[in-house]
Amino acid sequence: MRRSDLGEFEEVVLLTVAVMVPKAYSVIIAEELERETGQPVSTGAVHAALQRLEQKGYVTSVLGEATAERGGRRKRLFTVTALGGRVLTDVRSVRNRLWERIVPPTMLEWS
Amino acid sequence: MNPKPPRIPDKLLTWLVAPHLREEVLGDRHERFFRQVQRLGEAKARQRYWRDMLTYVRPVFMKRQETDYPNPTHTAMLRNYLKITVRTLVRNKLYTVLNVAGLTFGITCFLLIGLYLFDEFTFDQQHSKVNRIYRLVEHKKTKSEEFDVAAASYTLAEEARRQIAEIENTARMNRAGRADLINPETQAKFQETVAFADQSLMEIFDFEVIDGDSKTALKEPNSIIIVEELAQRLFKTSKVAGRTLHFSFTDTPLKVTAVLKNHPRNSSFDFNSVISLSNQQGRDRADWDSNEFMVFALLKEHASAETVAKKITALLYANFKPEVGTSLAFSLQPLADMHLYSENIIDAARNSNVEAMGQGTLLYVNVFAVVAIFVLLIACINYMNLATARASNRAKEIGVRKANGAFRSQLVKQFLVESLLVSLFSFLLAVILVNLLLPAFNEFTGKQLSLNLQTDYRIWLSTLLILLVTGFVSGSYPALLLSNFKPVVLLKSLKIQSKSNLSLRKGLVVFQFTVSVVIMIATMVLFLQIRYTSNKDLGFKKDLLVVVDINSAKARTEADAMQMELAKLADVKNVSVTSRVPGEWKQIPLVKMKPQGSAEDHKISYLIGADENFAKTFEVRILQGRNFTSPADSSSILLNETAAKALHISQASGQLVEIPSRSFGGDFTPLNESNHPFRARVIGIVKDFHFQSLREKISPMVLAYQNNPVHQIDYYTARIEGGNIPATLKRMEAAMAKIDPTHTFEYHFLDEQFARFYLEDQRRQTLLIWVALSTIFIACLGLFGLATYAAEQRIKEIGVRKVLGASVLNLTTLLSKDFLKLVLIANGIAFPVAWWATSEWLGEFAYHINVEWWIFVAAGALAIAIALLTISYQAIRAALVNPVKSLRSE
Repeated sequence: MRRSDLGEFEEVVLLTVAVMVPKAYSVIIAEELERETGQPVSTGAVHAALQRLEQKGYVTSVLGEATAERGGRRKRLFTVTALGGRVLTDVRSVRNRLWERIVPPTMLEWS
Repeated sequence: MNPKPPRIPDKLLTWLVAPHLREEVLGDRHERFFRQVQRLGEAKARQRYWRDMLTYVRPVFMKRQETDYPNPTHTAMLRNYLKITVRTLVRNKLYTVLNVAGLTFGITCFLLIGLYLFDEFTFDQQHSKVNRIYRLVEHKKTKSEEFDVAAASYTLAEEARRQIAEIENTARMNRAGRADLINPETQAKFQETVAFADQSLMEIFDFEVIDGDSKTALKEPNSIIIVEELAQRLFKTSKVAGRTLHFSFTDTPLKVTAVLKNHPRNSSFDFNSVISLSNQQGRDRADWDSNEFMVFALLKEHASAETVAKKITALLYANFKPEVGTSLAFSLQPLADMHLYSENIIDAARNSNVEAMGQGTLLYVNVFAVVAIFVLLIACINYMNLATARASNRAKEIGVRKANGAFRSQLVKQFLVESLLVSLFSFLLAVILVNLLLPAFNEFTGKQLSLNLQTDYRIWLSTLLILLVTGFVSGSYPALLLSNFKPVVLLKSLKIQSKSNLSLRKGLVVFQFTVSVVIMIATMVLFLQIRYTSNKDLGFKKDLLVVVDINSAKARTEADAMQMELAKLADVKNVSVTSRVPGEWKQIPLVKMKPQGSAEDHKISYLIGADENFAKTFEVRILQGRNFTSPADSSSILLNETAAKALHISQASGQLVEIPSRSFGGDFTPLNESNHPFRARVIGIVKDFHFQSLREKISPMVLAYQNNPVHQIDYYTARIEGGNIPATLKRMEAAMAKIDPTHTFEYHFLDEQFARFYLEDQRRQTLLIWVALSTIFIACLGLFGLATYAAEQRIKEIGVRKVLGASVLNLTTLLSKDFLKLVLIANGIAFPVAWWATSEWLGEFAYHINVEWWIFVAAGALAIAIALLTISYQAIRAALVNPVKSLRSE
């Protein structure tokens, strides 16, 4: 597993794409992330991450329809590829395994 | 109505983000904006809009997508211009070389002269407070005279600082005279000009200290500052702060408190030792009006120099009443003006045996500035001429460009790019050339100029400006002209026929040659005048005269014995003692005189104390009367012809003359306290001889006996055999040491001293010769190019003429005629201009050559000859071409 080439922000963006499909594009993703994390997220950052993900082959994109509020410009819609999905699963299972190995007393100390 | 997203970030984004991403990015931005307006309100949304814009500043967005096709932006056009330029330049190698060589030469001359001028204009500006430092100049007006002297009294300087609020500090400096400085350990001894100054000198000016402390250097009495160079000579090291020096005027040793870095070449200050003024603490405080000190004032920020000067004058008047009819006023001269604007200001050190501070001459600085601009202009004209002349070769290119829709502005741009490229190239070559020439140039100008990365940024800035100006000036005319042609005409005839353009080109050639001829004539006149000055009969023989300074009291009191010792030497023919010598480099005193009992005003005359050997040693002719004979002649005087005429004396017969007062520049003061005039008897008249530079008319001169009451003796002058001069000098030194072993042997050759009067002229001559050569050279390059082109254009005509039987001579004349006419016209314009300019310059000399007709003829002939040589090469070559070759292809 090439774990290292998926950054934390990229992972979150990738997950959000998976959640929002088939209407995943940068504005929606940024707003979704803002809502989930409570931090301001810029479309620029999201867009950049999406481009990196596309380069790595984890997402693909098509140009969608134009809307008035975009000034008649089209949006780019993203979907997770099979490879992307597998990477997400892998990451998740690594985390799950580690989670399960945390002994309850440690968890108690945190709360 | 929906709120609109801010426009500026949009513009920026459009420009920033790669085209293939622009749509989605801008779409995202707008959509987000509208959503945020609904959620957060418009103000917040706008704020966010700006901030989010910044998140697009990253390579992912900025990087342009690569395409297989060139995108036609203006850089593509620029690249095309460069390509075409390089191709044209490479194809026409001859013209390129001519252009580049001409421009390189022009720029080199300009840069060299420019560096020189920059140095002259930035004199004394190395001090950080330069804009607030002023020198006090006193204007004194008495009944008989009016003069400016850069001096004031000790007390005035002191009180001005105390009482005038605008003055932050004042510094006094007195270049008192020459004295021996001795290293007590090694007894190394040097006679130096010593100056006295107070601590403020170090506070006002930023003299760089390499050892010791500048803040306290002149506080204590008996402290001395020396410069590095003197420290090296005395102690062989520059780390000498704290060591002691012996000083020949006082018994107390002096303590070296600081060692200064040598003065930079563009500093008016040339002292190498400064002694603390605290030594003179007990000065007469009531003395307000003397002018013994050069005084510098540091004003507070924004203080007006004029107001302060008025206050200083008022301060003086409050404490001192000048005689009736005398008025005094002070002005403040900015430090930066000291070098170039002090021509009529008398140096404060006029009374002491020191040379005045060096200064520049504004006139010549201006002349050279003009010359520099002309040389550069000539080089630019060259470029214009060649470019316009060869325009028809490029007619096809211009026509095609225009037919394809090129705007005129684009063509202008193209030709400007071309000329800028050529001038850039020439400029780089010139910078290299300047650096190669600078060592020789520095030696010759006595400066330390450099053109490298350490050079002042202002020089680089202005050279850059010159580069641009040169490029634009030389490119503008061809650019505007060539771009103006009609494409149809261009493509149909492929020839450019324009009468006006031809005459302008001719005008430019005429201009070039006019400037060249003027400079040539100026050079010749300068050369002849300098030869005249060195060969003119001065009324005495200046060769092989050694002048030895009297540097100790014993050498003065025992003058007779000393003279005898010297005269005993086999290779010394005659020895004379005098107070001053003809060709004097220090001040010759002036005296007032009138025949006893005369009701006329006093006449003013120079005075030199001499002895009976004077006439013999200097070979001055005594016209009538007799020479001095014995010490009994102490109240006898000889007059020169001019003085005799002034006093209406035609026969020397012991007339009594009264000499009541003398002056060492500036004020006349009585000879003694009792105001008793010196009554002298005229015993003879000597032939006029030149004792000053030939710029001055021979003035009245009184030769008094050596023990006269006006001025004591100061020199021995020996006429020597020229066989082995160094050995003679050694023997003279030894002979003098017999009488006084401590005496420092310091000598000058009189002919060299005379030559120094014209040193600057000599420099100017050399500089002018080089400038003349460059202008001629550049002008010839241009002419050569034009001649080549003309020959090329008329190749068919020449072929036809040749077939019809024209001889080579005929054809050569045909081709040369046009250009020779231009050179002749140039001569016609140049002659009056040159006549006017050289007459003005010669007017400075009281004794000068006449500008004669043959100088003009010579210069004109030279110009024609050079032009002819240049042209005829091309003309003959064209005339020799086999007509079959030139007529075969049509």
